[in-house]
Amino acid sequence: MDTIHLQHTLPEVFASRDEIRSDVWLKDVRFERGHLYLVEANSGTGKSSLCSFVYGYRHDYQGIITFDTQDIRRLSIADWTHIRQRHLSLLFQELRLFPELTAMENVEIKNRLTGFKKRKEILDWFDQFGISDKVDTPVALMSFGQQQRVAMMRALAQPFDFLLVDEPISHLDDANSRTMADIMMEEATRQGAAVIVTSIGKHMELHYDQILRL
Amino acid sequence: MSLVWKLLRQHISALQFIGFFMANLLGMLIVLLAFQFYQDVRPVFAQGDGIINNDYLIVSKHISIMGGSSTFSSSEVDDLSNQPFTKCVGAFTASQYHVACSMGIEGVANFGTQMYFESVPDQFVDTDHSQWHFQPGDDWVPIIIPRSYLAIYNFGYAQSRSLPKVSESVISMIDMTVILRGNAREQYMRGRVVGFTSRLNTILVPESFMEWSNREFAPDADVSPTRLIVEVGNPTDDAIARYVQQHGYDIDEDKLAAGKTTYFLKVVSGVIMGVGLLISALSFFILMLSIYLLVQKNTVKLQNLLLIGYSPTRVSLPYQLLTMGMNALVLMFALLLLSWLRGYYMNMLWAMFPTMEDHTMWAAYLLGGSLFMLVSLLNVIAIRRKVMTCLRAH
Repeated sequence: MDTIHLQHTLPEVFASRDEIRSDVWLKDVRFERGHLYLVEANSGTGKSSLCSFVYGYRHDYQGIITFDTQDIRRLSIADWTHIRQRHLSLLFQELRLFPELTAMENVEIKNRLTGFKKRKEILDWFDQFGISDKVDTPVALMSFGQQQRVAMMRALAQPFDFLLVDEPISHLDDANSRTMADIMMEEATRQGAAVIVTSIGKHMELHYDQILRL
Repeated sequence: MSLVWKLLRQHISALQFIGFFMANLLGMLIVLLAFQFYQDVRPVFAQGDGIINNDYLIVSKHISIMGGSSTFSSSEVDDLSNQPFTKCVGAFTASQYHVACSMGIEGVANFGTQMYFESVPDQFVDTDHSQWHFQPGDDWVPIIIPRSYLAIYNFGYAQSRSLPKVSESVISMIDMTVILRGNAREQYMRGRVVGFTSRLNTILVPESFMEWSNREFAPDADVSPTRLIVEVGNPTDDAIARYVQQHGYDIDEDKLAAGKTTYFLKVVSGVIMGVGLLISALSFFILMLSIYLLVQKNTVKLQNLLLIGYSPTRVSLPYQLLTMGMNALVLMFALLLLSWLRGYYMNMLWAMFPTMEDHTMWAAYLLGGSLFMLVSLLNVIAIRRKVMTCLRAH
């Protein structure tokens, strides 16, 4: 998968608004593999909606979204399962971790599906993120900032062409943000993948190819 | 342990599953028990008989203390033959001389009795015709005896003398000496039981033997028949009842009774199986309900699994395996209980019908297996559909 193409896309809830000033909505936008994008937004401008449309779990939008030339409205459930295992990864803003599983199990539940990373590599990440003491701690007992790091590891434990990260550092200090950005970019670069970062203010300091205002 | 299972087993209610297990076990057991019992008991009512299986009636004259002839004259027989409901008529011919018989094992006679013979035309006898014949000069005679005689021996005589009980196949091998006396003569012959009947309370010999023996031992006796065997098109025909009543005859309704018993057995087994199926169906709903509740309570987990790339098939699998495992366990316990209960009632049945053959439980295995497959299939489909609704809801 090389391109995500948004053509005159608009969330249906915005359809009644008179004036849409955005670099994304109702525009023709292409996200290309191998590039780094930042989507900046104020709250309520449809940032998480954008992620959910592209990730295929909401369809309440106008316009067309295509992966390469494939209209994503026509993808079957089996197609989506395949895409989410092999081509597209999303770090959810609300994380969607399993609170009853430990930090390691939360990463493993994805990694066992894809068979992508060795246990050693995952433990190295824990080390780099500075939460190696939390490996066997249930996620429910961890802070939101710690959970964000676990969710990032889970998002990276698969092959992908595009990585969507929805407000990844909202609860992290600058040093931890830096570490997260490094690990993320290292993995994305190795895979030759595109990264689309969204933010409502504080964002990862990276050399973005393009910055879009939502 | 699979992480997916670790997640999805959250909120499983042991109580609901025990409820399902008990209810389904009860339902399954009732269905299988009714079915198996019917299979086991039916042959008792439908066992092979030495007398033809077509619809026939035994007609005799009403016996009263006022006297009057109890035999049928040839004009009466002809009249009955000419009735529209009659297919054919045969006369019972009774022996007019003394008959005694003794049975023994290994040549030692230990059971002797006075008795008599009767014969009906060979066409009414349904037994191997190579054995059912007699020619003057033969030294053995084939005999068909009532099953009840066997019961008298087994439960009356053998019981009180501590002798072994015998089955139908064994009695055919027992030596039987028949002594014919009359016309100032006596002759010893060998008798061999070649068949049994539940429908006629008489000891049958071939008609050719009867003709010969009556001629030899009671040449002057009147051989008018006292009973007639009548093959009819439809035994429930009103005309038969009217005719029989007008002429003051009696008919033996034994066959009708056996038919009614079989029918009754069928109805009762059917009703019990119906109740069992109903309980099974209800237990099926209990299971579906608790699975639906489980899916409902775990909706968020299921949705998240689907969002991180798990397929609906993979996510449904733990619940499908769970229900199939439960169903298999129920089937296993039901079959175990069934064979235990069956052992219990079969002992009673054998005590009542020692000649009954043992049937296997294959039919019950097959029925249980089919029910298991059907219910499991429905479970699998329903769970998959329920999981798919989660997918649409997120």
